[in-house]
Amino acid sequence: MFSVKPLKPTFKSYLPPLHTDLKKIAQPPIKKLEAKLLPGEIVVNEVNFVRKCIGADSSQDDLWGKLICTNFKVSFITHDALCKQRFQVANRLLGEHDVPLACVEQVVTVNDAKGKQKVLGSNQKLKFNPTELILYCKDFRIIRFRFDEAGPESAKKVCLAIAHYSHPADPQLLFGFEYVGKQYYGSSGKRMNGMDPGGGVQTPLFDRPSEWDREIKRTGAAEWRVCSVNEGYTVSPSLPEYFVVPVSLADQDLKQYSCFFTTHRIPLWCWNHPNGSALVRMASIADPLQQRKLDQRICSAITKSHPQRSDVIKSDLDKNLPNIQDIQAAFGKVRQICVIEPFEESEEKWLSSMESSRWLEYVRAFLKHSAEVVYLLEGKHVSVILQEEEDRDLGCVVSSLVQLMLDPHFRSLIGFQSLVQKEWVMAGHRFLDRCNHLKKNDKDECPLFFLFLDCVWQIMNQYPAAFEFTDTYLTVLSDSMWIPLFSTFLFNCPQQRTENSIDFAKSKCIPLGEEKALRFPPVWDWSQQFTLKDQALFNNPMYVGKGATCVQNGAVKSFRRTKKNYSSTLRGMPTSLRNGLMDGDTLTRRSSLVLRLRPDFSQIREVVESPTERFLRDWFSRPADLQGMLLPQLLPSHLALWRLYFLRWVPEARIPKGGPVTAYHKLSQVADEIEMLQNKLRQYKGVTPVSSPGAPPSDHSRMYFKASSTSEPSPEYLSSSFPFSPVGNMCRRSILGTPLSKFLNGAKIWLSTETLANESV
Amino acid sequence: MEKSGSIDSLGSKQSSSRQPSVDSLSSTSTSRSDRSSHAAKPPLAVFSDNVSTSTEFSPELRGRTKAVVKVLRDANKEEPQLLPKEHVQDMAKDVTYICPYIGALRGTLTVTNYRLFFKCTDREPVFVLDLPLGVVSRVEKIGGASSRGEVSYGLVCKDIRNLRFAHKQMEDSLRKSIFEVLMKFAFPVSNGLPIFAFEYGQVYPENGWKVYDAQAEYKRQGLPNESWRITKVNDHYELCDTYPSTLVVPVNISDEELKRVAAFRAKGRIPVLSWIHPESQATVTRCSQPMVGVNGKRSKDDEKYLQAIMDANAQSHKLFIFDARPSVNAAANKMKGGGYESEDAYQNAELVFLDIHNIHVMRESLRKLKEVVYPNIEESHWLSNLESTHWLEHIKLILAGALRIADKVESGKTSVVVHCSDGWDRTAQLTSLAMLMLDGHYRTIRGFQVLLEKEWLSFGHRFQLRIGHGDKNHTDADRSPVFLQFIDCVWQMTRQFPAAFEFNEYFLVTTLDHLYSCLFGTFLCNSEQQRVKEEVPKKTVSLWAYINSQLEEFTNPLYVNYSNHVLFPVVSMRHLELWVGYYIRWNPRMRPQEPVHQRYKELLAKRAELQKRVEELQREVTNRSASSERAGSPTRSITPVQTFV
Repeated sequence: MFSVKPLKPTFKSYLPPLHTDLKKIAQPPIKKLEAKLLPGEIVVNEVNFVRKCIGADSSQDDLWGKLICTNFKVSFITHDALCKQRFQVANRLLGEHDVPLACVEQVVTVNDAKGKQKVLGSNQKLKFNPTELILYCKDFRIIRFRFDEAGPESAKKVCLAIAHYSHPADPQLLFGFEYVGKQYYGSSGKRMNGMDPGGGVQTPLFDRPSEWDREIKRTGAAEWRVCSVNEGYTVSPSLPEYFVVPVSLADQDLKQYSCFFTTHRIPLWCWNHPNGSALVRMASIADPLQQRKLDQRICSAITKSHPQRSDVIKSDLDKNLPNIQDIQAAFGKVRQICVIEPFEESEEKWLSSMESSRWLEYVRAFLKHSAEVVYLLEGKHVSVILQEEEDRDLGCVVSSLVQLMLDPHFRSLIGFQSLVQKEWVMAGHRFLDRCNHLKKNDKDECPLFFLFLDCVWQIMNQYPAAFEFTDTYLTVLSDSMWIPLFSTFLFNCPQQRTENSIDFAKSKCIPLGEEKALRFPPVWDWSQQFTLKDQALFNNPMYVGKGATCVQNGAVKSFRRTKKNYSSTLRGMPTSLRNGLMDGDTLTRRSSLVLRLRPDFSQIREVVESPTERFLRDWFSRPADLQGMLLPQLLPSHLALWRLYFLRWVPEARIPKGGPVTAYHKLSQVADEIEMLQNKLRQYKGVTPVSSPGAPPSDHSRMYFKASSTSEPSPEYLSSSFPFSPVGNMCRRSILGTPLSKFLNGAKIWLSTETLANESV
Repeated sequence: MEKSGSIDSLGSKQSSSRQPSVDSLSSTSTSRSDRSSHAAKPPLAVFSDNVSTSTEFSPELRGRTKAVVKVLRDANKEEPQLLPKEHVQDMAKDVTYICPYIGALRGTLTVTNYRLFFKCTDREPVFVLDLPLGVVSRVEKIGGASSRGEVSYGLVCKDIRNLRFAHKQMEDSLRKSIFEVLMKFAFPVSNGLPIFAFEYGQVYPENGWKVYDAQAEYKRQGLPNESWRITKVNDHYELCDTYPSTLVVPVNISDEELKRVAAFRAKGRIPVLSWIHPESQATVTRCSQPMVGVNGKRSKDDEKYLQAIMDANAQSHKLFIFDARPSVNAAANKMKGGGYESEDAYQNAELVFLDIHNIHVMRESLRKLKEVVYPNIEESHWLSNLESTHWLEHIKLILAGALRIADKVESGKTSVVVHCSDGWDRTAQLTSLAMLMLDGHYRTIRGFQVLLEKEWLSFGHRFQLRIGHGDKNHTDADRSPVFLQFIDCVWQMTRQFPAAFEFNEYFLVTTLDHLYSCLFGTFLCNSEQQRVKEEVPKKTVSLWAYINSQLEEFTNPLYVNYSNHVLFPVVSMRHLELWVGYYIRWNPRMRPQEPVHQRYKELLAKRAELQKRVEELQREVTNRSASSERAGSPTRSITPVQTFV
């Protein structure tokens, strides 16, 4: 399948002095620069004596090594160590300088001497020998390599290979297939890499009825049932096999209704409020003639499932929220001003540029709309249907945000992961298309999942003790989208996974046996990527959890999901306003003061609030219960840029020995001490420490920073980028990439690079 | 002032449990709907509104049912709880407060010689507005009688809000409106009345005026030493009436020479030492502009003087002169006899302009900012509106200037001279911020107080003029938010280094609130000389007395005292942010973010509790094992509990 020719060692003359003089006797045997490969990973092309640029201005910190393109990643192997102090959390699947091909957004080749540059697509020609390669990455990194001392032909081949292999023409060319397929070749039955199809974690994947049943029970949705009408994806290809519907709707009805919905998507139950109101998501009704009748049927079925037979309100997401093109455009602009534009130049107009990118405006729009839905469920006790054309994009964001605001369970790590699994993976969010893994259709690309993570971050930023996880977790989760191994982000829907699995298995003669699909690990199996120690970076030391009895104002509180808890916010609506004195027009305007005060008057007349606003204001006037409903502050002044994500690679924006991590460091140490004390108490009580489900074994601390280091000053490597580092990951150059051009659709095998290279000569 | 609640309680501190005042009560109950009621205790609102169940209590009051009961009982009082020497001057019923957030509220308005107190009881929850009159910048009657026979008054406040009242036209036209009374007491200086700080006689456990002792501070810095001496030449403020009496100057410059240098520096503000690096001996010195004038006048004495400053630092053969102004402005000053050092005249000196604008530009910027943030913010153009005020841009320039100074001193081991025109506004901002970056001592609560006393108060930042205490002349061109900008810069630094400062946000807000309140004598007058003349330390209470008697409330629990830790903040718009907790605190929709600090304190409390329990069990086990050892059975060995504090 891969025609890989080993490179001939013909480039002696290019050896930089650094590497030629290695004949000292005392030195340990020279380690060969070889790529570390994962199962199923193959070297496609490589070139020696490449310089990885570290500093933007000088080359003195640059690293020398070998640049390798495999079918999974762009790897740079070096014996040199980075001179500058840096901390970068290590990923088990990737080396220090590696970039997964799926993370490569744009491949730019440059020839200094000729003053040429070219954005390389798949199967493209290159008419000059590149002196430089710049990789623009999807996670905002910009990585630069120089080929001054490298063989020009090999350099060119590697560049072409990277460009080609980062544009797979078919999902089955994504590395995950080879990787997971390898498991079946080898010692069958044994898991690779400690991989466990269940995810190695307790995160329910919602691919079996029992997990839905549990969710129904957990939320007390008595009048709802698990439906298996879509088993084998016979009704709708984009729906999961199992989902939840009102008990009053029989399978037969559902089948009958399904054909009237866009892509046969029957409405899906998401969640039940303790007051009985349900959150449901639904595609639009394709047949206008059936519209009213069907609407009525669905609504009455939902009403019947409500203990108080409350009304159903439909929320049209397409009408009220930005569309995916808008969101993609906004994201592109934020990226532009955050990492592409020269730092100093973008400083001057930073705020207005941020505004004109509209990114925060969109984040706010989603949060706001979700808060409005929360009001309907919580304040008006009605059920809500989220309606969207296909119900596979905006609905995912809104339904997850509503549940995060209303149900503290989803603010735990396992709960959050189950939420993503339920509302994104199973509901058929097109991760493959939206991530644009195949780089086939830019129009489909949209960072919707990232937008959701940003919304979560905003809530987290406002309530730092409300989530079990940290923003490092959110960042790493977002980065995992660009490692094409995980079932979570590889497919458009569960059916696609099954279909491709079977197809791939057939072509590779892999016996699938009982299984419906290849055992792609879900991203939730974090041990795939990180050591247990590094996974502690996910844990929020401040978390006020359900299990963790927390001391709040001296009183020990623990949360119960009760009605009382929820309805309390309805009391004490302010009395309506008296407008007697607000007639600004009767005032004579005399001085500038009057003019200045005038806005107050116009404001006063607008004090008439919408019920939602009143609901929000009323809620905000009370102390928040972190284990109850949580609403984000929606004033634009309260939405912030997610600095860790957007600025972590920007060297100029890095605060040395500063940033939120310095507080996190101290908090972790105290939390670790508390944990140690609790363990000790358990010991005294003669109880062997029992790890609660989801928690790592209790002899292993949940905190990254341990109490034992309290006496030491905080580590030098702490910075606002922690646990990432801009060093070596951000090397801007004063050229801007042009949009990618796409080539070669449809082929399921990679063209040989030899062919590519020959063609391009 | 706003914290009068806490002040009251402080007053009754002898009885150990703090008595909640009406304020805390009222703000508790009103907080639901209108945060402007936090006039009562705005700074507390910043921190107490979080996970706690009782919204507006000061931390100590939280969760104490007893306190709550007391508070509820006070709810029906229409008058504020008065401070010592505070007297009700007038009271009017049926006054309407036109709240920009809730709408019209009818209630009782009380004016004392210290505060304005409005309470609306026919509303659940009770609404209270309580603000010190010192905050009021301007009172104006708006319009004549309306059709309803009401007259309306607008109050423009120094703390980023406007208030608006209306009441029935007095039938007895001879009787003064309550607002005329208010105007009298809001501007005591203009009306020949004493500022309330001179009457307020609260006794605190600590005398705040003793916080700063110039000699002690210079001693802490290792001064005098072989290169620097303390001179008494200004003991009676005859060399420079806006400088402190204690000055540190190069050893080899005589007092006579100092006088000649003073003649060449605007207002006689000669270069004097502010800070010396403990290792490299590089110094931060401050002064006013040289009187160069259009003809490029030179002064041999001044040139020698700067050379002496440079020579005092053996590490470097260069001297950096940071002129805070934009070069254009500095040049324009030549027309008025001022100017800047020419590099020809001052060998080995390099002149750098820091492009910070003057007090008028800053005042205008704050005016615009107020328009953007109060009462409501426009949702669709928030960021570009904010940008158009240039407020953050100014903050950035000031911080950037301080950073360059700190970097030259720390990394370049080079001495610096800092000046602007007079050397009491921008210069104070720059030297104090640079010192905050360079010296961890100033990041403690007491150290910060010393920094303010030294760089701002003793070196003659003209607080009286810049703030206009008790002065009705609100259009005075000398008013400017110079000190507010400095505190904003400090806040920006605390955001970037959350564990590097001993004080918290509440401390900064409290300092700003009392900048205007006129309750304490700290920010009165323009110079040390004036303060001595007016006997301010004798006749008034220092703000630090109040703060230092309840340090707990102002302490950042995350504080780590790194030794020799120089802070280099990232001065970029990417990290600067609007201080929402100060500028937007009146907006009821602004819920302060749940503070990390609070949670940290909870964790500490939990740790303490667990430690206690573990120790108890340990004792138990030891006892038991002692008895079981006698019985001959081995027990598990348990390592003693380690405590890390």
